[in-house]
Amino acid sequence: MIPNSLPILTILVFLPLACCLLLLPAWKRPRLAFSLALASMLLELALTVGLFASWKGLAAVQTALPGFLLLEDRSWIEAFGIRYTLGLDGISLLMVMLTAFSFCVAILVSWRAIKERAVLFLVLLLAMETGIMGVFLSLDLALFYLFWEVMLIPMFFLIGVWGHGRRIYSTIKFFLFTLFGSLLMLLAIIALHLFHAQQTGVVTFALHALLKTTLAPHTQLWLYAAFFLAFAIKFPLFPVHTWLPDAHTDAPTAGSVILAGLLLKTGSYGLIRFGYPLFPQAAHILTPLFYTLALIGIIYASLVAFAQEDMKRLIAYSSIGHMGFVAIGIAAWQPVALSGSIIQMANHGVTTGALFCLVGMLDERAHTREIAAFGGLWGKTPLWSFFFLFFSLASVGLPGLNNFVGEFLILAGTMKSSPLVAALAFGGIVLTLIYMVRLVQEVCFQEERQPLELTDLVPRELCLLALVALLNLWMGVHPAPLLDLIRTPVRLLIGGGP
Amino acid sequence: MTLFDLLAFMPLVILATGAILCLLAGAVRPGGYLYELAIVVVAASMLWSLALPADGMLPGISVTPYARFCALFLDLAGITGLLLAAGYNRCRGIVGEEYPATLLFALVGMGAACAATDLLILFLGLEAFTFAFYILVAIERGSERGGEAGMKYLLNGTLSAAILAMGIALVYCSRGTLQLAELAAQGRGAGHLYLAGLSLILLGLAFKLSLVPAHLWTADVYQGAPAPVTALLSTASKGASLAALLLLMPLVTGWPGSHAILWWLALLSMLCGNLAALVQSSIKRMLAWSSVAQMGYVGLALTAAPAGGLRAAAFYVVIYAAAGLATFGAVAVLSDQGERDGIDAYRGLGYANPLAGAALAVGLFSLAGIPPAAGLMGKFAVFAAALRGGETALAVVGILTALVSVFYYLRVVVALYMRPAEGECRESHSLAISEVIALAAPTLVTLFLGVYPSPLLDLLARLIS
Repeated sequence: MIPNSLPILTILVFLPLACCLLLLPAWKRPRLAFSLALASMLLELALTVGLFASWKGLAAVQTALPGFLLLEDRSWIEAFGIRYTLGLDGISLLMVMLTAFSFCVAILVSWRAIKERAVLFLVLLLAMETGIMGVFLSLDLALFYLFWEVMLIPMFFLIGVWGHGRRIYSTIKFFLFTLFGSLLMLLAIIALHLFHAQQTGVVTFALHALLKTTLAPHTQLWLYAAFFLAFAIKFPLFPVHTWLPDAHTDAPTAGSVILAGLLLKTGSYGLIRFGYPLFPQAAHILTPLFYTLALIGIIYASLVAFAQEDMKRLIAYSSIGHMGFVAIGIAAWQPVALSGSIIQMANHGVTTGALFCLVGMLDERAHTREIAAFGGLWGKTPLWSFFFLFFSLASVGLPGLNNFVGEFLILAGTMKSSPLVAALAFGGIVLTLIYMVRLVQEVCFQEERQPLELTDLVPRELCLLALVALLNLWMGVHPAPLLDLIRTPVRLLIGGGP
Repeated sequence: MTLFDLLAFMPLVILATGAILCLLAGAVRPGGYLYELAIVVVAASMLWSLALPADGMLPGISVTPYARFCALFLDLAGITGLLLAAGYNRCRGIVGEEYPATLLFALVGMGAACAATDLLILFLGLEAFTFAFYILVAIERGSERGGEAGMKYLLNGTLSAAILAMGIALVYCSRGTLQLAELAAQGRGAGHLYLAGLSLILLGLAFKLSLVPAHLWTADVYQGAPAPVTALLSTASKGASLAALLLLMPLVTGWPGSHAILWWLALLSMLCGNLAALVQSSIKRMLAWSSVAQMGYVGLALTAAPAGGLRAAAFYVVIYAAAGLATFGAVAVLSDQGERDGIDAYRGLGYANPLAGAALAVGLFSLAGIPPAAGLMGKFAVFAAALRGGETALAVVGILTALVSVFYYLRVVVALYMRPAEGECRESHSLAISEVIALAAPTLVTLFLGVYPSPLLDLLARLIS
């Protein structure tokens, strides 16, 4: 058992940042810095797994808020009414585990790939981890917003300094797109707290206080629109998705892993944690729009993915499709579908992260990601090809692997309320199948098209992928522990609670 | 007037004496430790007001906690300016006592302006420091740009001084007093003469704050002046002008029509500043337009004066000043013999000179309002005040122009860290200890206020009711 007196959540958030200081003496010794950073990320992972192992014990102890396993609340900026409030419930715990895990993957996959300015790279990676952890744990809207924006700077540098191709264009586009949404959300957050202050006289940004604010329908719609835009851009939903293919393609592998695995999840998480509970009526009114955008996203992204020449870009588009499913599950706002969405967020992070790693490994060897450059890799690099096939199958939702669980729950839940949406989304799965199978077939099984000298996976890469694959299998075969974990929070969310 | 009152005014006296001392010392030993002397003088003045927190009143001027806070803030900016200028000026052959002495005179003027209780003293304080800046802007004698900038500043400045004086005269004609407290107490019953006077005063201060449409001098002067002077011009001078405007706010808000004036000033400044900054290729011009825009956000807070906007405006200016000192300080330090002016000239410098690069980047992120730099907290305060005051439309315009601003700030960061240095990497000179302090201090303040602004907010809440 973990004693409750320790500020575990604060440690969880700021341990990576503290480790940055540790790296400073190792400025000239990148290998040492890599080991130190990895050690701190593994420690972070161990911490989250420890929390997961003991969550039932924690749940038995009642905290101030129902459904929350751990809470921390301190005064911070009293003049604005902002408090430092962190809270961990099942959904956050799942996301926090995913975060800690994805960062370990990201650092291991960069082990040899990042040669220049390695320590700066690690510092940014660690700062990023702090930002993302903060987003998943904040229960104060202003604090949440702060972490939400803190994530931007490290990612801006990761893409801009270590990226490929049109990295500067992509990184500025990424930055401006995400900022556009979040600045309007900032105004909405301020407005919401002013309405609350008007009604109760209490100046606060605490989520659980603001949930009780009554808003005129018209106002609620405007505020929700601002939140929705910010989250939709991160998600990304159809018309505001254009930053994603560029950013994913030009980012270094670690950047892509984090973008796909975590940054997109902050959008869906925000909608689940803040958007729907704060503005239930407005969210209900806009549900048809949400469904439509998600469906267009699934089908459009699949069609575009089919036409891609660049493997990384193809996987980036597949991300849009997969996140479309998450969106549908949220839009249904129904226990089964929502659980599916949350599980799917974790699944997608694991699977797509692994696919980006695989493409990154291939890129390091062949210095190209053109699908047309490869062929016949099954014979040349059997281990790589095996994992590529494995994760591609996971990505299309093969039963027994993780994505199947999420997609199944989402479709099953949505079927009840809107069968048409579920049917169309199912069509999306078929499209995914087509382009992923084509990708695997072209890369692994075709005749060799260019004579490339390729070496197979080295032990480090093999271990990394094997671990991810085992995790994937476990999540696919035995998702019950994760579903148990999120059952109570989902019930409370749907019931209008926190 | 008692001895106690005199004690309260000692900080100003120390500064003025120090300025004269500098001039004398320069005559005795030219090129001696004049900057060091000036820094000691400013530090002594600050120490006095910290150690002996006495309030005092003289006719037309009174040392209040508010005035002391403003003076401390301006003195800190002044010290940073001196630290930056020491190396920069030596490098360019600007030797002699006039620079530190003039700067000290400017600080005296600023201190007087923030302590004024009378329109005349307010005017004298404002013009005293503006006058000092006429000299400082053109202090590099050989420089054509410097001379041009000095001329432009002088011509515009005298015009604004005339407008300000005319406004004060009109107010005096209609009300028969120059005392701020009495004017505020007389309140609303506004004659045309009084309103005309008030509008002229506002216009004169808009010039000092470079609010559109009184901003035209800004870009040329910022570009032409030596970088350490620009650093002060954009921070201390703006801070002192705002401090003076805050003293006038009871008069201004007493007249409902002033809201429309402030509204338009804020709107135009945010729009023009941010849009014009987009197309600049010189970093100093870009920062000049950005400071026009930043003052627009201050104006936005002022439109919401009844809803706590004054506090937000003061808070914003402090944060803006820290960021401005960091950015202009980095520009000063990174400049070699000539000015490093084009944004392209900053390619790869983030690695060649890590501290200056970091200071510039943090300053720019703060101006852009991206955490953990303090800019976000400032924007937060301003927009919260604006929404509380019901200025929704202006707030939305403000937030969208803030998005525009991010683009041009990022361009510099991109040049610093993401573009390779062209040709052979011109190794910029290693930093002197004074420059390290002058860069590190505002950068750290910016980061600190970004994560823990409570002390400053509480202080301002006590000072500005």
